[in-house]
Amino acid sequence: MASEVNAAAVADTSGTHEISREELVRRLHDSSLTIVDVLPQASFVEEHIPGALNLPLEQVASRARELLPDFNAEIAVYCGKFT
Amino acid sequence: MRGQQAVALLHDLGYSNVRDYRGGIADWVESGQPTESATETAAPEPDPRATMLDGPPLAASQSGVAGRGPARLSRMGQFDKSMLDLVQQRSTWQLFVIWIGTILLSGFCYWLGAYLGKRGLLEGGVVVGADLKGFASAVYFSFVTATSIGYGDIVPVGGARVIAVAEAIAALLIFGAVVAKFVSHRQDELVSEIHRITFEERLDRVETNLHMVISEMLAITAMCEAKAPPNRISTRLESAAILFSGELRTTRDLLYQPRLAVEEGVLGGILASLTSALNVLADLLACLPPGFPRSQPTEITLERLTVLAEEICGECVPHSYTPRLVFWMDRIQAAALRLK
Repeated sequence: MASEVNAAAVADTSGTHEISREELVRRLHDSSLTIVDVLPQASFVEEHIPGALNLPLEQVASRARELLPDFNAEIAVYCGKFT
Repeated sequence: MRGQQAVALLHDLGYSNVRDYRGGIADWVESGQPTESATETAAPEPDPRATMLDGPPLAASQSGVAGRGPARLSRMGQFDKSMLDLVQQRSTWQLFVIWIGTILLSGFCYWLGAYLGKRGLLEGGVVVGADLKGFASAVYFSFVTATSIGYGDIVPVGGARVIAVAEAIAALLIFGAVVAKFVSHRQDELVSEIHRITFEERLDRVETNLHMVISEMLAITAMCEAKAPPNRISTRLESAAILFSGELRTTRDLLYQPRLAVEEGVLGGILASLTSALNVLADLLACLPPGFPRSQPTEITLERLTVLAEEICGECVPHSYTPRLVFWMDRIQAAALRLK
């Protein structure tokens, strides 16, 4: 059920909204950019980009507001492998 | 894909400025950028941005990281360690060649002394010459010295004594290393064989236990459908769930930190059993009437089961597996969603 919603949403935004590694490196310590790790917690525990928050994909809907209070904040999302 | 999904989801939730880092953690690590692990962020001054959502990190991941540290050699000096490394890196055969080389080189040195007109070796009081026969005698003397036999038919004099002492020490040490290497090689083989057998037995047990879990859950489902008393169902469900979560954890750790290579067929079998066990469990939970009294251990175990199962998917395990295994892993994740 949830996956249908996701698939529809992906179709809307695919191809846009990307951030390059260079920009991410440059702004790693920039507090105006929030980095979010959407991998499961175990992966986050093992390894993550410094300063990243952990918000597993499955919990995005339920916990995003608690973790990311500012709707206008710049957010960079990453997962595990090349997509 | 997960990244894109997350971007889309966040967008739908009203976040206006979300972007996807396509390369993900794999690209990040590959380009040599630094990373953190949760044990580091748990330091006295945690970065406020690195908040963990789900409480303390999993114990298994932590111990796995800690257990990977280098073996400590506190009492052993740096010199001993480097010598050990030197021996460790050479094969038995290489060490043997070095031993022979030392003997031949020393033999050549004795002969060189004679060739340069120095008194090097005496055979029965007569100086050994610089001819071919003299060279043979020098090598022979070198062997007798290196193996600490020391017949005494040829004796070194003058500077040759220094070479003889150095040769004897070096050759004995190297020969000792050859023997030690030979013995330890056999021992290493035995140890790894024992490891392998234990590991395979553990895998067998995982499969057997999973089958038990499946049949037990089917039995409980039948009880449930026959409207058996809830307390009888509850206790059996509790023990089955605990056994299941133990085996699920083992499988998860196996996928995240493989200690030994597992045959694809064996791993595929385990993953397939896991999938059907999860589905059977979901059916069972669906059969239970609303408001069914679940004990606290059952609740906790079921929660843990769901988390563990969600962590098994082709994209989230840190190693790449064959498409067939990835297929099963994704099925497991899909089954886990049913448990929610």
